Amino acid sequence: MSQDAPKVTKSLQLVSRSTYVKEWLLQALFFMCAFAFVLAVALIFVFVGWKALPIFTDYGFWKFISGTEWSSSSKVFGILPLIAGTVLVTLGALALGTPLAVGTAVFLSDVASPRVRAFVRPAVELLAGIPSVVYGFFGIIFLRALIAQFSMTLGFGAFTAWIVLAIMIVPTIAALSEDALRSIPEGIREASYAMGATQWQTIYKVVIPAAKIGIIDAIILGMGRAIGETMAVLMVVGNAPVFPKGIFAPLATMTSQIVMDMPYAVGLHRTALFAMAAMLFVFSMLLVASVRLLSRLRD
Amino acid sequence: MVPLAGCTTNSQRTEQLSVSGSTTLLPISEQSGEAFHLKDPQVSVLVSGLGSSAGIEAVSAGTADIGTSSRDLKPEEGPLGLVDTPVAYDGIAVIVSPANGVDNLTMAQLRDIFAGKIHNWSEVGGADRRIDLVNRDEASGTREAFKKIVMKDVPFDPAAAVLPGTGQVRDVVARAPGAIGYISLGFVEPRFTDVRVKALSIDGVTPSKKSVADRTYPIGRTLHFFTKGQPQGAAKRYIEFVLSDAVQKGVVVDAGFIPIAEGGSK
Repeated sequence: MSQDAPKVTKSLQLVSRSTYVKEWLLQALFFMCAFAFVLAVALIFVFVGWKALPIFTDYGFWKFISGTEWSSSSKVFGILPLIAGTVLVTLGALALGTPLAVGTAVFLSDVASPRVRAFVRPAVELLAGIPSVVYGFFGIIFLRALIAQFSMTLGFGAFTAWIVLAIMIVPTIAALSEDALRSIPEGIREASYAMGATQWQTIYKVVIPAAKIGIIDAIILGMGRAIGETMAVLMVVGNAPVFPKGIFAPLATMTSQIVMDMPYAVGLHRTALFAMAAMLFVFSMLLVASVRLLSRLRD
Repeated sequence: MVPLAGCTTNSQRTEQLSVSGSTTLLPISEQSGEAFHLKDPQVSVLVSGLGSSAGIEAVSAGTADIGTSSRDLKPEEGPLGLVDTPVAYDGIAVIVSPANGVDNLTMAQLRDIFAGKIHNWSEVGGADRRIDLVNRDEASGTREAFKKIVMKDVPFDPAAAVLPGTGQVRDVVARAPGAIGYISLGFVEPRFTDVRVKALSIDGVTPSKKSVADRTYPIGRTLHFFTKGQPQGAAKRYIEFVLSDAVQKGVVVDAGFIPIAEGGSK
């Protein structure tokens, strides 16, 4: 390898000057693409952070993050109930969606015949492409009314959001988990069958443990989608910024509260929304970091 | 065909007038906007409903030509330099599902219900059923007016469901037997759906155009158009059109509101 490298550079120098310039320009172009993207992220982060700064200086970070009341009319901005709402909605959706998604992935990679797979796989991918407002619309018109009937409430709350979000994150988790499962060499499965294991034993004891890190990766990415989801959640949670009194009671998440308040927020209120956005930024950075850490473990 | 908002200099043919704000005022702004466009084809009226506070914010920031509002200006909004044109008078109806046995509430009971002090319909003469509160978002002028007239600044129960539009409140309350909400009187009668809601009488007075106009029904408010400075050009012509008899006795009455001449401003 090390012997080949100078040879390539040498042959590049031997080609005509215009080719050399073209190569250099392409390199510069790709660098610009990547750089513009990184710059955009950095600028957004700086802008959000700068706009959120007065929360630290004028309001107090601890009061902001541990306050239990959010009321823009009385200028009280405590986001603990909103964090609680986000966590409750996200974890519930994951608990519902993950088994479904991993089950789908196992079915696609190890159980389904090629014919069935050709039918199921595009269906799952299609589900991933539906805009979230459609899920929200479905949630508010159909699901909410249904849940209102059997729970004797308004039908707004964590439970409705769980179902809507679970449907939304299943395609993400399923597609990535399937990749992880398919990347397990066929030899491992064959070895398991050779030991006399049944198909179920092979899936449960060999394939899934081998693909474990990839599946966790997929779940974390699904979690990212669930935390960041706004439109569909906004439509079904009921938007009450309080600690939820049960899974059928109205609550609010950080993203839904930002959208509810955005049109009219001014002054400290707007700052509080930016600070909440910064919190979400930090959350998603932590998620990305953990995905990268896990990927390194897998390699 | 439709140029971008604000590009009036290079497109002399059609001028865009953006009218933004209260969802309560949507029927008036939209229908009079369409009629105005027929009368004056060079102006097309763009209407959006994001809530009264959003409308006031938009007109003071210059992103809308007219901000519509179903509440009065707050003291801190005084220095924005907005000019108020009252366009109609409206009552706020307290609505429940038609299946609810309660027909009347006193102002005090209503306040206690929305403050979260009364939790069960049996406490106000109804069946033994939990009260599910449906509130509007803080950008809503209806909420602001309700807060001022009914709540007298007693805080709302924060655990109430908060919905971003009049139509949604109506739809949710209509289908939930334990729910209570409040909407503009003009939206009580079904227009685009056959789902019914029941408007409660307050202190024994049934909300109607008559009882709102003569002020016997206690929850009424003025609907406003706000402009930054005196209205000019297309905005001025549009506002004059809205105040004309054709709109006041047509669209305004049809939408269930009371013409400004009859209700007067408060």
